[in-house]
Amino acid sequence: MSIFQRSSRVLAIDGAAVSIVFLIMCAYFAIASPYFLSPDNIHNTFVESVSAVLLAAGLTFVLISGGIDLSIGSNIGLSAAMTLFASMNGAPTVLALLAGVATGLIFGLVNGAFIAGLGVSDFIVTLATLSVGAGVLQVFSASTQLTGTADSSFLALARGEVAGIPTGVLIAVVILFVLEIALIKTPFGRTIYAVGINPNAAYLAAVSVRRTKFLVFVISGIVAGIGGVLLASHLNSVQPGLGGGYELTAIAGCVVGGVALAGGRGSIWRAALGAFFLSVLSRGLQLIGVDPLWFSIVTGAAIVAAVAFDRGAQKWLQSTLRPVSPVAAAATQNAQ
Amino acid sequence: MSSFLNTPSLGYRVEGLLAKPGSGLVALLVLFIIAMTFVAPSFLSFGNWENIANQAVFVLLLALGMTIVLIARGIDLSVGSVMGLSAGVAAFLINQGLIFPLALLAGIGCGLICGLLNALMITKLGLPDFVATLAMLGVARGVLFLWTEGTPFTRYMTPEYRLVGGQVKLGGIITIPIIVAVVLCILVSLMLRKSLIGRHLYAVGGSPDAARLSGISVSAVKTFAYVVSGGCAGLAGVILAGRATNVAPTLGTGYEILAITAAIIGGAALTGGQGRMVGAILGALTITLIANAMNIAGVTSEWQQVVTGIILLLAILLDRITAYFKKRQTSAEIEQSPQQEPTPATAPRRAIS
Repeated sequence: MSIFQRSSRVLAIDGAAVSIVFLIMCAYFAIASPYFLSPDNIHNTFVESVSAVLLAAGLTFVLISGGIDLSIGSNIGLSAAMTLFASMNGAPTVLALLAGVATGLIFGLVNGAFIAGLGVSDFIVTLATLSVGAGVLQVFSASTQLTGTADSSFLALARGEVAGIPTGVLIAVVILFVLEIALIKTPFGRTIYAVGINPNAAYLAAVSVRRTKFLVFVISGIVAGIGGVLLASHLNSVQPGLGGGYELTAIAGCVVGGVALAGGRGSIWRAALGAFFLSVLSRGLQLIGVDPLWFSIVTGAAIVAAVAFDRGAQKWLQSTLRPVSPVAAAATQNAQ
Repeated sequence: MSSFLNTPSLGYRVEGLLAKPGSGLVALLVLFIIAMTFVAPSFLSFGNWENIANQAVFVLLLALGMTIVLIARGIDLSVGSVMGLSAGVAAFLINQGLIFPLALLAGIGCGLICGLLNALMITKLGLPDFVATLAMLGVARGVLFLWTEGTPFTRYMTPEYRLVGGQVKLGGIITIPIIVAVVLCILVSLMLRKSLIGRHLYAVGGSPDAARLSGISVSAVKTFAYVVSGGCAGLAGVILAGRATNVAPTLGTGYEILAITAAIIGGAALTGGQGRMVGAILGALTITLIANAMNIAGVTSEWQQVVTGIILLLAILLDRITAYFKKRQTSAEIEQSPQQEPTPATAPRRAIS
């Protein structure tokens, strides 16, 4: 085995290809802008990416089970509005927090009931709840000014610091850790993969497909609710259109990280890395002075490049690392 | 199935009607229209229906392309942005002094090229449909923003363009966009039902593996679907530029969601292999009717989104009811069939389907 082949084994590690692209991008921004690696910028980048990373992590459960959740965008906006509203009206911090998480839970329950209970297409159901949620947020914020709570412990949720690390980031990391454990180490996590790979086989293996589908939407809703609470605490104001388009960023983040939209493949840390990748990309572009009009083009190109690179790397690895006979190669090509 | 020995009861007949796909949607529309005539009598006026038809054209054109893509088990999220970009191409070229028909063709060509790029990303690079068209959504929108530098293209309107945009009726009777939409509907319907490529679309969507094994080039069929969808978006964009009289950089934003919604409430499924042209028309009409009715009834724009979402959920529920009656009817037929038709081969086949 040549050195070349040995070094290429690194790429075979799960998620290594995306990580390498991420590091190259960071190196480029660091050279192009001296401000990129300053403590201030690193701090801000982490704080601002919290909501995107959390949304992507919650969505990963749904994606692995082979579904899709578009409602998380208006879910995070409405949860932020509810939690801020509660806090502004004198609710204690814990109650305000619960108000936000409960809003997320309601989204998850409604989605789950329609999708798992009635067997309706998840795309349409979550599209409808996205629309209803965004509309309710519009109506709600048109009648009440959602700016500024005086509750300092609520604001400390995202703005405080523990040992120099923002609390919002700490909370997000703990949640990511819990989600990763739930996905990788528990029987429930395995059933999610099973349902995503082949629902019929999972059903025959005595997995309750309906229950699993219901629970992944509930999880996605709750995590988006927590994201809303942190977002409200960070911004301390809620605009009518808050959260609009977040669902597409979250989906893009998951895909860049290597979570398959077809289901059955992915993990929390990969989704989080993908979402963080996109936040860093948009921040870095701002720093090196790219016209904001270019952002959507660059983001679109980055998504295509990341996914194509990931696929290309895997295909290439299959051909270099495991030399196979022409017959077997033809068979695998046919199978694809 | 039923013979004269076993005359179907009235209830059975009603159930049979309910089991027809799309009947739930039609029932919803009829109830909706009846309710609206009480709320606002002007809703039933001829002028308002003309208005609805003219508005529905854009969603309908996009929904036609989307239905074809959905049948082939794809999804095209880029149609809204492509529509805006095509409108920009046509408006810009007219301002540059290109003759009118060529500018229109260039706009449609822009849509076709965007569709082709989508198809190449999906078939050659192996990207998931969702990702490729999501990227195209961002890129096409970004190009339009950069190109217009944030300010709309204006002053490109000519008398001919007023005619094409549907602002002036052809001969005082009917607008060109409606004619275009009707002709395209007939063509697409014929293509889906009668032509080889139509059968191939359903085959690829139903089971890509089975289609490939029976000698159909899956990537060619998918390319066809995306190019048609892009072309429809280009056509809609060119007409929309004539309708809107200026091309803002945000023109067409959010139309992809409307198109997907129209196609899916019309019976197309994201899992592929299903969908009809009539469904796309019904879906586009439903969406436009609801928006129009809410404007007439004076529903504020904040509430419109909530109502749209709830009606979407209602439409899905009706669809489930339709499916329930269909299932009930087939099981009733199976129960009756062994005595009337003793051929053992038919009964099990029915039970499977």
